[in-house]
Amino acid sequence: MSTAAPSSSIARDLRLLGVAFAYELRKVTAWRAGFVVRELMRSLWRPLVMIFVYRAILVTPEARFGGFDFPALVAYLILAASFEKLLFHQRGLDLADQIFQGYVTKYLTMPVRFFVLALGRFAQHLAVQSSVVAFLWVVGSLLFPQWWPRVASASAALQAFVLVLLGSYCAFLMCFLVNVLAFWLEVVWTLSAMASFVFSFAAGVLVPVSAMPQSLAGALRWMFPYWAVSAPGELFLGRLGTQEFLRGVCVLLAWVVALELLRQLLWRRGLRRHIGAGV
Amino acid sequence: MSTGHNRAVSEVLIEMRGAGKRFRTWKRREGFGGFFVNLFAREWTEVAALEGIELEIRRGEFLGLIGANGAGKTTLLKCVSGITPVSSGSARMFGCDSFALRDEHKRRLSMVMGQRSQLWWDLPAIDSFRLLREIYSVPRSDFELRLRESAERLQVTDMLQRQLRNLSLGERMKMEIIGAFLHEPDVVFLDEPTIGLDLVSRETIRRYLVEINRARGVTIVLTSHDMEDIEETCRRLVILRQGRVLFDGGLVDLKARTYERRAIEVHLEPSSPGWDAAFEPLLEPFGARLERAAPLTLLFSVPAPAVQRFVPFLFERFAIRDLSIEHHPLDMIIRQIFQQREGGA
Repeated sequence: MSTAAPSSSIARDLRLLGVAFAYELRKVTAWRAGFVVRELMRSLWRPLVMIFVYRAILVTPEARFGGFDFPALVAYLILAASFEKLLFHQRGLDLADQIFQGYVTKYLTMPVRFFVLALGRFAQHLAVQSSVVAFLWVVGSLLFPQWWPRVASASAALQAFVLVLLGSYCAFLMCFLVNVLAFWLEVVWTLSAMASFVFSFAAGVLVPVSAMPQSLAGALRWMFPYWAVSAPGELFLGRLGTQEFLRGVCVLLAWVVALELLRQLLWRRGLRRHIGAGV
Repeated sequence: MSTGHNRAVSEVLIEMRGAGKRFRTWKRREGFGGFFVNLFAREWTEVAALEGIELEIRRGEFLGLIGANGAGKTTLLKCVSGITPVSSGSARMFGCDSFALRDEHKRRLSMVMGQRSQLWWDLPAIDSFRLLREIYSVPRSDFELRLRESAERLQVTDMLQRQLRNLSLGERMKMEIIGAFLHEPDVVFLDEPTIGLDLVSRETIRRYLVEINRARGVTIVLTSHDMEDIEETCRRLVILRQGRVLFDGGLVDLKARTYERRAIEVHLEPSSPGWDAAFEPLLEPFGARLERAAPLTLLFSVPAPAVQRFVPFLFERFAIRDLSIEHHPLDMIIRQIFQQREGGA
């Protein structure tokens, strides 16, 4: 048997991550109709419907909803839709299927950490969705310049992007966790759908969190979905400042650590159960 | 491959000593009432998937693992390949506990599950191979060379760039096999690789496996329900029954057990009388046994010296369209082994 010279574990993982990223990119672009439906149009419909809902509620130019007038709400919804597209989503990972059907066992005979392959999927998602969002922003700002959100400052845009990236990683870890429950449960897709709805609400995709009742908004500010969508939107529009950005980074990093520890624990326990059951 | 086949032919790569695997499961009571009882009082039972397995597999062996569904073949593969730990005894590979294999050991093994594709449905196989190349750290030049050679031998060179979903079942399995051998493993486990394949694909795959086993000294463990697969590829056979080894030895030894008997297959005319239980005592003077009876086909096992007398007897009783006399086919030998053990038990 001949193999390449052994390299350090981290260097190997990084190289594998690069190849897994390219592989996932090929997968996502292999099916054109699937690409348009899943990658281009995903996350666009709910905010679009909400624009009409808010139009029906805010009938006069002076009318406000949680401090937002109608043009501000439209700008917020465009931002929320854009940021939600960048977040890793429940359907982005087919790990539960792999567990149910026993495919995951084959990775146990390979010299590979399964999580590195899953990270390749995450990297692919970010790359594809960043391109899609950039494309939609160019088209949208040309077609609807009067409605399109205007960034408060370059640093506000940068801060918003940092929060979205960290939030997307949290969402990825959360997806991984929900999928790993397939080691124990047969209702993972139901849980995924429920988690997706709760996530949308907590992230402020439909209603800005700052427009929600104060006690609820206060609680949601400790959750990562808020800092992944709603807060970056308000940062982008200049409604939140650097102080809030720093708080968001701290909250998100704490979530990354907690979710990562939980992921490692559930994955280890799940695999032990999986092989114990002789799947 | 730098390791010479002859030099290392005696090296033990896989070793099981008194290995057992037990699963704990609970009985689900039927009905709505049973559902509630199950919630509070579960009746647990232990199932022995493997028991007291003693097995040694050496470098370069081509071993066939056979047995009925549920006999423990796949569990045995999983125990030796490190997917699942044994419950008792030990399972070792490359001198290490199978369940504690390190990456350098995993690079030396490969597994193909006939019903679990490791290639991606929507992509050409070449893309999946590139990922495997990285996983197994195969140098690019070696990868290109092995891929070209394997694809040529399996006659799928022009299909490497085609989406997997557009390939036939046989072509897909050939791709799986290419993927399994790309990193030149020392041990390959093949779990029913020819399931559902047509005759030509099966033959091509068998030929490839035999060639690669001989040329590189790769140890191959094959499970299959297809006796032709076993006969044409394996030199050693392990028969499992209810988690225990029923037979472990050379294929030649196994066949020699019944060398003194012949299988006579009789195809009847539609107008012929069929088999009747009343004929059973008439077989005794010949030492013959009925092995299989279908409406228009009968299969007998007959001592070789009695064949000359038995054939005219058949012509007297039945209207025969066709008749063949052969050594016992492998499936008949194995069925006899099962029957002997059942009788002895």
